[in-house]
Amino acid sequence: MPSIHTLLVANRGEIALRVFRTAARLGIRTVAIHTDLDATAPHVRAADDAVRVGSYLDVDEVVAAAVAVGADAVHPGYGFLSERSAFAAALEAAGVTLVGPSAQVMEQMGRKDLARDIAVAAGVPVVPAYALDDDPSTFAYPVLVKAAAGGGGKGMRVVRSAGELPEARAAAAREAASAFGDETLLIEKYVERGRHLEVQVMGDSHGNVVHLFERDCSTQRRHQKVLEEAPGPTVDADLRHRMTAAAVALARQVGYVGAGTVEFLLDADTGDFYFLEMNTRLQVEHPVTEAITGLDLVEEQLRVAAGEPLSRTQEELAITGHAIEARVYAEDAFGGFLPQAGRADLVRWPSGSGIRVDHALESGQVVSTSYDPMLGKVIAHGPDRESARQALLRALEGTAVTGLTTNTGFLRALVASDEFRDATIDTAWLDRHEVAAPGPDEARLFAAWTAAYLLTPGVGSDPHPFQADGWRLAGPPAPVVVELDRPVVVEHARLGVPGTVDEMPVTAVAAADLRPGHEVVLELEGRRRRAVVDVQAHTVEVVLDGQRHVFTKPDVAADTGPAAGDGTVVAPMPGTVLDVRVAEGQQVTAGELLGAMEAMKMEFALTAPYDSVVTAVEAVAGRQVALGARLFEVTGTDQA
Amino acid sequence: MTQDLRSLVEDLRERLATTRLGGSERARDKHTARGKMLVRERVDRLLDPGSAFLELSPLAATGMYGAPGETPVPAAGIVTGIGRISGRECLVVANDATVKGGTYYPVTVKKHLRAQQVAADNHLPCVYLVDSGGAFLPLQDEVFPDREHFGRIFFNQANLSARGIPQVASVMGSCTAGGAYVPAMSDETVIVKEQGTIFLGGPPLVKAATGEVVTAEELGGGDVHARTSGVVDHLAEDDAHALAIVRSIVATFPASAGFETGARAPSSTSRAWEVREVEEPLEDPETLYDVVPADTRTPYDVREVIRRVVDGSRFQEFKKLYGETLVTGFAHVWGHPVGIVANNGILFGESALKGAHFIELCNQRGIPLVFLQNISGFMVGREYENKGIARDGAKLVTAVACSVVPKFTVVIGGSFGAGNYGMCGRAYDPRFLWMWPNARISVMGGEQAASVLATVAGKPEDEEFKAPIREQYETQGSPYYATARLWDDGVIDPADTRRVLGMGLAAAAHAPVPSPSYGIFRM
Repeated sequence: MPSIHTLLVANRGEIALRVFRTAARLGIRTVAIHTDLDATAPHVRAADDAVRVGSYLDVDEVVAAAVAVGADAVHPGYGFLSERSAFAAALEAAGVTLVGPSAQVMEQMGRKDLARDIAVAAGVPVVPAYALDDDPSTFAYPVLVKAAAGGGGKGMRVVRSAGELPEARAAAAREAASAFGDETLLIEKYVERGRHLEVQVMGDSHGNVVHLFERDCSTQRRHQKVLEEAPGPTVDADLRHRMTAAAVALARQVGYVGAGTVEFLLDADTGDFYFLEMNTRLQVEHPVTEAITGLDLVEEQLRVAAGEPLSRTQEELAITGHAIEARVYAEDAFGGFLPQAGRADLVRWPSGSGIRVDHALESGQVVSTSYDPMLGKVIAHGPDRESARQALLRALEGTAVTGLTTNTGFLRALVASDEFRDATIDTAWLDRHEVAAPGPDEARLFAAWTAAYLLTPGVGSDPHPFQADGWRLAGPPAPVVVELDRPVVVEHARLGVPGTVDEMPVTAVAAADLRPGHEVVLELEGRRRRAVVDVQAHTVEVVLDGQRHVFTKPDVAADTGPAAGDGTVVAPMPGTVLDVRVAEGQQVTAGELLGAMEAMKMEFALTAPYDSVVTAVEAVAGRQVALGARLFEVTGTDQA
Repeated sequence: MTQDLRSLVEDLRERLATTRLGGSERARDKHTARGKMLVRERVDRLLDPGSAFLELSPLAATGMYGAPGETPVPAAGIVTGIGRISGRECLVVANDATVKGGTYYPVTVKKHLRAQQVAADNHLPCVYLVDSGGAFLPLQDEVFPDREHFGRIFFNQANLSARGIPQVASVMGSCTAGGAYVPAMSDETVIVKEQGTIFLGGPPLVKAATGEVVTAEELGGGDVHARTSGVVDHLAEDDAHALAIVRSIVATFPASAGFETGARAPSSTSRAWEVREVEEPLEDPETLYDVVPADTRTPYDVREVIRRVVDGSRFQEFKKLYGETLVTGFAHVWGHPVGIVANNGILFGESALKGAHFIELCNQRGIPLVFLQNISGFMVGREYENKGIARDGAKLVTAVACSVVPKFTVVIGGSFGAGNYGMCGRAYDPRFLWMWPNARISVMGGEQAASVLATVAGKPEDEEFKAPIREQYETQGSPYYATARLWDDGVIDPADTRRVLGMGLAAAAHAPVPSPSYGIFRM
C-alpha cells in the first residue's frame, strides 16, 4: 500500500487487534495508543510501537501521538473518537489521513437531525418526527426521544403519554450531554415491534459506492445489540433491493467515502422501513458482513483511505451463506445485567471451522469497569442460518471465562431459544421477556466430580497410605463428600470408570489440565457434556454452556443464631440507658433497634434478636442499670 | 476345616459389614430421625473428603456380653482409628449411640484406652465424637475402679495434652456423668445445638438427689454450655457443622503439634526417618490368596509374602544363608524403610541369634521393624535345650523388648508359645498388631495342650478328658476371639497387609525415635 506506511489505531481492545491484523498482513507498520491502565494490554503488545496517552478521548493528544510516530493514517475503530468530526478535522489539519469519511460528512451524518434531512433529500423514507416545540398533546404515542448526536441507545427514551414527556426529555438530555457533550434531542414515532436492519456501504474517492447487503441486529437489550446476523433472516429479495438502494442513494447524496452503515427500522407489522441514522465508521458487527461477502472491510477501508478504488464492483458482490455474531460482555445477565469486574483467571475462546473470534481477553487479565464491558465477539458462519446458529451454539458452549461472570450463558440460551431460531425477536423483545437462567444442578455435578477427582491419588497428590481413595478395612471404600453449597456424595471419580455423583451415574471421558482449571468431559444420561472447572480452597467455579456457576463452601465460622427462645434483651455492661425506641406490643424485626445504653464511654445498641413482638419494656431512659439487667422482653412471632 | 484364604477373607468382610451397621435397625432409625448422623458417617465427614481410615479393632466385643454366638455390642459401641483431618493424621474416637446408648462396656473402655495409647505412641492429635451415656452400669465393677478403667480416659487426656498432643471433643449427643469429662478435659470443644448435652447428673438423677425438675437442655444443652457455663467453646447447628468446626480447629494446629513440648520440634516435613517415593510391588497383593496355604501347618516360603508387601518387591536379605528359619532383611513399604523379621519355620538357636543381630542393626539405624509372625515355637528337645536355646531365645526377646524403633507385627499364621514373645507379640508393645483371618494364637497348640494336661492328670489316653481342652483351644485360638478382646488392632485381609503397614508407618513417622539401649544379653 504505497501511501500508508504507518498506521496508528486510536482505539483499544479487540477492534485495535482486529485492525492490526489486517494492517500487518498488508505490510503496514502498526502503532497503538494506551492509557496507563492499558500499559500491558494485548493491543499494546500486538502493535509494532505504542504511545502513552492520558485518555483515548483526548483529540489533541491522539493527534500529537500520530504526528510523533510519523503515522500516515489513523484508524479510529468504533466508539471513542471514531465519529468526532473535530478529530477528523484535527487530523486533516495535521496532515494525517483518517481512515473514515471527511469531517464534514461525519458532522452531517453524525447529527441525527441533519442526517434525516439528507435522507429525505435522497428519497429515503424516514420515521415520522415531531418538532421539539410541537404541542405534545398532538403526538401519536408512543414516541421516542433520542439524542441528536451519538448512538448506541444512550439518551433514548420511549414515551407513552404526553405526561411523561417532560421528564423523559430532561433525562435524555442529561444522558446525551454526558455521553456526547451535546444535549440536542429528536422526537419521532416509536415502532413497537420493529426489526433493526442496517446496510453496510463502502464508497471510494473515485465516486464508487457499493452496498455489502444488510445485517439484522434486532436482538437488543435496552438498545444495546446482543446478537447480529447477515443477511437479514426476514428480508426477501424485494425488500433487500429497496433497502440497499436507499442506503446507496443516501451515501451518494453525501459523497460518502469509506465504510459506513445505514440503519433502518423495519416495522414488523407493516413491512415499512425507515431510515434511523448513518454510522460513519466500522461497526462492531462488521465481521458478519465479512463472513458472507468474503471481503476484509478493514483492508477496503485502508485502500480507500490510500486513494485506491474499491476492490469489487456491486456486480461482483454476492451473499455466501449466513453469519451470526454474539457479543460477550462482562456482565451478569441473570443478575440484573450488572457489569462485572475482576481477574479473568482462565479464558478459553472457541475455535473451529466457520468460527471467528475477535477478542482482547486472555487468561489472567484484569477487567475493569473503566472501559466498554465487551470482552469479545464470537462469530459463526455456515451455509445457511440454521447451520450458523448451531455452530454458534457450540462455539458459545466452548467459551469459558472463570474468575469473572460473562453473559455467555445468556447468549447461548438466547441463541438456543425458539424465538431466535424462528427469527421472531424484535428490538424490544428482550425488554419484555426474561431468558431463563440455566439451573445449577448439572454444574454442581461437574464441580463435585472434579473436586473429588482432584483428590484422587496420583492426580492432585502423591501416593500416601492415608490418601483420599476412601480406603476402609476389608470393606467398600467410603464415598467422597464434597462440600459445596450443599454436600455432594461422589463415588469413583476416576477417568473412564463408571461412578456416581449424588447417586446419578457419571462416567468421565476426559479431564484435561487447563491451569488454573480443568476441562472435564462427563457422560451423563448418555450425553457427553463438557465444562471448565476451577477448584479453589473455598469455592468451585464451573463454566458450563458458557454460564459461570460459583459454588461456595459453607462458612464454618458463620454466626450461630440467637439462643433458642431467648427473648430477653439484657444490659451487656453496667451503665446508663440512653434511649428507648419501642413500646410494648410493637412488632420488631431481627436487628431492629430497641434502645441504646452507655457504659464505659461506649454506646451499645440494644437490638431485637429475631423477628418478634415486644412483650415488656423495663428500660427507662436515663436510669442506671446493672450488668445483665433485663431491659426488654420480646416473643418471637413463630416461637409463641 | 481347611478353608482357603479367599473364603476366610469373605467371612471377614461379612463380619465387618455387619459390624459397620452399628446397633439395631430400630436404634439406627431413631438416631437418624433426630437429625443425627450414624457414627461411621460422622467419621467419614470428619475426615478429609475421601481420606483413608485405619479403623482399629472393629470386631471388638465379637461374641461377648450375650448368648453364645451373639454380639450385642458390635465394635464395642465405639469406632476408633486414624484418618486425615485438615491434611494431618489424627486419632478419632467416636461413640456409637445406636449400640446400648453408647455406654462403656469393659471392652469399650479397653478400646478407648488403646486408641489413646496409639495417639500417645505416634503423637497423633485426638478427636472425640462424644455420644455416650457413660459407663455401662450393670458391669460397673469391670468398668469403673481399676487402673485401666474409665478414669484412665481422662488421665490420658490430661497427660496427652501435657505432651502437646491436642485433644478436641465434639459433643454430638449425651455426655453424661464421667462422660462429661471428655469434653471438659479437652483443649477445645464443640457442641451440637439442641442435641448435645453435658452434665454430671442427668435429669432423673437430679430429681432423685434434690427434687429439682429440669429438662436435659436446660440442665446441660448446647446453649447453656456455649453461653453460660463455658464448658464448650463452639456451638454448632448440626452434626455436619460440628464436624466442620472440628476440621477447622485441627487446621489451626501448628505443624509441630503432637511433638512433646520442649522436645526438639521437627518441622512438618521432617520425619523420624527418610521417606522415599512409593513403588508398587511387582506382584499384586491379591495373589497372596494363591501362595499362602490357609492351613498354618502347611509350610511355604515367607518370601512370597514379603514380595507382595514391599515396594518394588525389592528385599535386601541379611544373613540369608544362616539361621534360615528366620528371614531378615531390609525393604521399603510405601516409601518408609523397614527391617523385616519373618518366620520361615521353627526357631532354632541360630535363627534367634540372627534375629537379635538384625534387630540391633535396625535400632542402630533407626529403621522400623516389621514382624511377620508364623511361629509354632522354639525348637524343643535335649540337644537344643542343652545347647542353650533358652539363652538364644532370651537374646531375641531382649532385643525385641528393648527396641526403640517402631515395631509392627502381623500374625500371618500361628502364634504359639515363646515364639509369640520373640516375634513381638502384644506384650512387646508393637505400635500395631494385626492378624490374618487364618491366624491362630495360644500358648501352645490344642493337641499339645490336651496331651500335656492329660499326662499331668495321669490320663494320657483319655479322649473324653482331652476333647474339651482341644475344643477350648480351638475357640480361644481363633483370631476373632483374639480381636474381640483387643489382643490385636484388627483382623485384616492379607491383601491389605501392605496398606495397613503403610498407614502404621505413616502414623509412626510423627514420633521421634530415641537412642537405643538394652538390658543384659545372656551370652
